[in-house]
Order: sequence, then C-alpha cells, then structure tokens
Amino acid sequence: MEPILQEIYQGILDGQHREVEAKVQAALQAGLNPKSILDEGMIAAMAEVGQLFESGEFYVPEMLVSARAMQTGLAVLKPHLKEANIQSAGKVAIGTVKGDLHDIGKNLVIMMLEGAGFEILDLGADVAPEKFVAAIQSGGVDILALSALLTTTMPNMKATIDALKEAGVREHIKVMIGGAPITEDYARQIGADGTAPDASRAVALAKSFLTASRC
Amino acid sequence: MNNRTRTLAILNYETYDRIPLVHFGYWHATKDKWAAEGHITPEQAQGHADGNAIDVEMNRLLGWDFCWKCAFSWNNRLEPMFERRILEERPDGSRLIMNEDGVSVIEKTGVFSIPTEVDHLLKGRQEWESIYKHRLKFTLGRIQRGWAKVDGQDRQFDQGGRELLLKQDGSHPYGLYCGGLIGVIRDWLGLVNMSYLIVDDEPLFDEMAETVSELIFQGVKSVLETGIHFDFAHFWEDVCYKAGPLVNPRMFAAKFGPKYRRITGLLKSYGVEFVSLDCDGKIDSLLPIWLENGVNIMFPIEVGTWQASIQPWREKYGRALRGVGGMNKHIFGFDYAAIDTEIERLRPLVALGGYIPCPDHRLPIDARWENVQYYCECMRKVFG
Repeated sequence: MEPILQEIYQGILDGQHREVEAKVQAALQAGLNPKSILDEGMIAAMAEVGQLFESGEFYVPEMLVSARAMQTGLAVLKPHLKEANIQSAGKVAIGTVKGDLHDIGKNLVIMMLEGAGFEILDLGADVAPEKFVAAIQSGGVDILALSALLTTTMPNMKATIDALKEAGVREHIKVMIGGAPITEDYARQIGADGTAPDASRAVALAKSFLTASRC
Repeated sequence: MNNRTRTLAILNYETYDRIPLVHFGYWHATKDKWAAEGHITPEQAQGHADGNAIDVEMNRLLGWDFCWKCAFSWNNRLEPMFERRILEERPDGSRLIMNEDGVSVIEKTGVFSIPTEVDHLLKGRQEWESIYKHRLKFTLGRIQRGWAKVDGQDRQFDQGGRELLLKQDGSHPYGLYCGGLIGVIRDWLGLVNMSYLIVDDEPLFDEMAETVSELIFQGVKSVLETGIHFDFAHFWEDVCYKAGPLVNPRMFAAKFGPKYRRITGLLKSYGVEFVSLDCDGKIDSLLPIWLENGVNIMFPIEVGTWQASIQPWREKYGRALRGVGGMNKHIFGFDYAAIDTEIERLRPLVALGGYIPCPDHRLPIDARWENVQYYCECMRKVFG
C-alpha cells in the first residue's frame, strides 16, 4: 500500500479527522486514483473499525470518531469520485418508524454504512409508512433500514412492510430492521430480511444483502 | 417487619418475612391511559411523582409497597437550569424545544419516545466556561432548595423537611439520590459530541467530569452532615444500550472509577453501605467497574432482548453484588398466564438472596391496570 494510503487508514482508526482530510487532499494532489484512496485507505479502515468493535477492542465512541474521520475525508473525495463516475456500494433508505422520535441508533448505522461506501437517504424520525413507500418508489434504493426504540412503536415496522407489499415494491428491495426491542424472531415474524444488534453488524448485513443479490 | 426492615434484611442476606413489592414508576402516557380508563383520576395522573401522596395511593390501588426511586433528592443539576421554551412550532404538529439542559429537541404530542436531539448549547470550552461551569457550583441552597419525598409527600427541605426526614416511618428504605457523573455530561453534549470531545479536547472532558463529581461529592457530604440516616444511596447514569456500553469501559474505569470510589467512600464513612445505580441497557462490561468502586446494587436490570438477570452476575461476582429489578415490564401488556410464567422465572432468582424483583423500567403504555394488580397479588402469594 502507498504510504499515504496507510496514513489515511491509520488516521481513520485513530479518529484524527483533520489529519485524514489533509492526507486525502495530499493523496489526490499526488495523483492517486480516488477509488484506491476510497477502497484501500478509507473503506478498509472502517472495515477494521468494525472488526475491532466486534472483538471488543473498540466501543461506540471509537466507532463514532472513526466514522467522523471517514466522513471528513469523504467530503474531500466525493467530487473526484463523481467525476470518475465511481458508484457507491449501494443505496440505503433509512428512518425511525412512525411514532418514534429516537434517532441515535439510526444515526450510528448511517455513519457506519457511509463508512462502508453506501449512499444514504436519511428519511429522519417518526416516518410514516407512506413516506418509506414513496422513497422506494422514487427509485435507486437497494435496502430499506427501519429503526424503533420502543415495543410500542415496533409494530409500525410491520405496518411499513405491509405498506411496501401493498404498493407492490417489497420485492424490489431488502428490508433490515434494528433497535432496542428487536430480535431475529421478530424480524422473521414481520417479514423483514434481517436484523443486526449494532451498527457494525448492520454494515455486514447490508453487504450480505447486496452480495447475495448480485450472485 | 416493615418495608424498610425487610428490604435491608434481603440486601444483608438475612431472614425476612416476605419480598417487598417494589416498582419503578410509570410513563406519563401510561398514567393518562389509566385515567382515561377510569382507574385513577386525571388529577392523579397529572400529579403523580415517584413517592408522593398520589404514588402512595396508587400503590394501595395496585398492590405495590413502594417505588425504589422514592429517595431524598437535592438539586444536583444545572442551577439555574435553562428556561424550557418552544423554539418552533412545526407544520407536522411537532415542536422544537430547548430543554432545561440547553438541548434543542423535537417533541410531538402523542409520540412516546426519547426526543430527537437537534442541537446542544454546549459545544466546547467557550460555552462550558461562559454558560455551564458556573451553573455547577455547590452552594447550600442546592440542599435547601431540594425536595424530600417523605411519608409519601413532596416536602421542601427548607420548610421543615429536615425534621420530617428524621421522622422516617419504615414505609420504604431511606434513599439519598446522588445524580450521575457521566450521564449528565452525555445529556448536555449528546453522545456523538461527547465521543468527539474525548478525542478532540480530553482536558476539557476531564474538567467537566471533575466539576460534576465535585458537585456531587459536596452535595452528598452536606446532606450527610445533617445527621440524617440513609439506608442506601442511588446514582443514575444510563450509558448502555442493547449491545453494551455507550462509553469505552477502559476510559470509564480510568476517569470515573476513582470518582465513584471517593463518593461511595464518603457514603460508607457515614454508614451508608448500600449504593444502587440506575443504568438501562446491557451493563455487563461496566458492572465490575461500579462494583469495584463501591456500587453494590444494580438497578433496574433491564431484561431486554439480551435476557439480563442477577444470576450470571451473582455467579461471577458473588454476594457483594445485589440487584433490584429484572422483572420484564413488557409482560404487563400480555395476559395472566404470561405473568404467571414471569413470576416462576423470578422464583429461583429470589432464592439467591440479595435480590428484589422490580419491573425493569417505568411501566409502558401497553401495561394493563388489571395485570399489574394481578402481578402484585400473585407475588404476595408466591413470595409472602
């Protein structure tokens, strides 16, 4: 790996966002391929962050500062990726379901998905089923991610999936759900494609969906 | 035995007559629903607070003995707090509000959840020094303007509250609320900004932690110096979620372990042997840090999707660790059979000793009044 890519990689692991921003600029000025910077320096670093999180070495704060460093670097890189017509890993529409204003978990998942190269359509909190349906109908979405904090709001995940079926768009996308009260049993029961217990494993789940659909 | 003596007997692994029926209060929406159903009056729903006269009356109606959070509180938050005000009325019926902690949140009538945090007044050193730090100084006014929940009534400490506290009647163990050391910092900054601050300006984070813990220490010391006896102290943090802690346990142990030890050491020197701590979520990796630093009652042992229980903790940490909680509150939304099953699940846990079942959070809106009554009735039969 080019030394500067290694520095970007390390900067993301250390959560040094200003350093990552400067190094990405330097790498571009040195003529490195934007896709190499993204894949080898940045996405690889976030994958390592995910591994460290799952092994108990990193916790939520480390994940957050690494994600910020990733996002800061990505802001510099994005125009160059667009120019080179480099596609995202996939597009995820995400929101907290109707009746639920809680958004910390959703925002963590967004940061980690962006870190893995996904394009995000953040629909916010307290999102009605019809708004999720409209987002899918607008096209380009590969995965719908639904969040709920409370047992009293999680039934709105099922209501959203039912609305997707009714609108005839359920089969076009994968649906992943998450939040404090969510279990794998519940995900199966309401017809979701999967759930993940934390933001890191949500990335692995999203990747698995796209790998499966592209096989 | 009264509720106080039977609680202390259980926590001391001594013989007792029966398990006290302890609860953790109710969400406002739950009380409003019960009022609409005619179980309580709208005035009771509005006026209820943990440990006040209405709480005592609701305990009688439902069958509870007392609320664990019925503790003497003093003013350990920002003084003065920020004025709560509506910043914006939105077309969808939601409101952007700046709350008492200086946090802008979105709230919506009929939406029962933690509000969305939009912005925080506290962003860095400038705001800390100009608008936060001076609100965290200890003065005796914080004690005098605190409130006591004694004999089921709210009492101002400076209006005879001290004398009332001395007339403790045994209806519940006497608790002293100590606040939180990191939970309040998380409230002011938000989880994301707090995580950033620890990396970007660690000395500032340390200063915040030191300021908060010094305030708690001085407040606790001043209350204890009045000579009032407390059976337990109670902290609040809420720094975990379903998969584990929201903070790095190594950081937490290094920065907050000694602060807990200093305060619990002070409590112990005044004869307060029991220290409980309220933290939702999966607390397993922070638990040993609290236990090593003088916190010996975990509350409310949120069962959650991770099936938390006193049992594995007792196996790992022995009898030094006690618990209050661990009863799955969601059962109150099901039926009598589910309640029976839950009580059977609790039976071997109660047999461990040093453990008092309690719903694992405030009762949510799907809790049925008659189910709560049934639970209390059965618990009295099973553990009476």
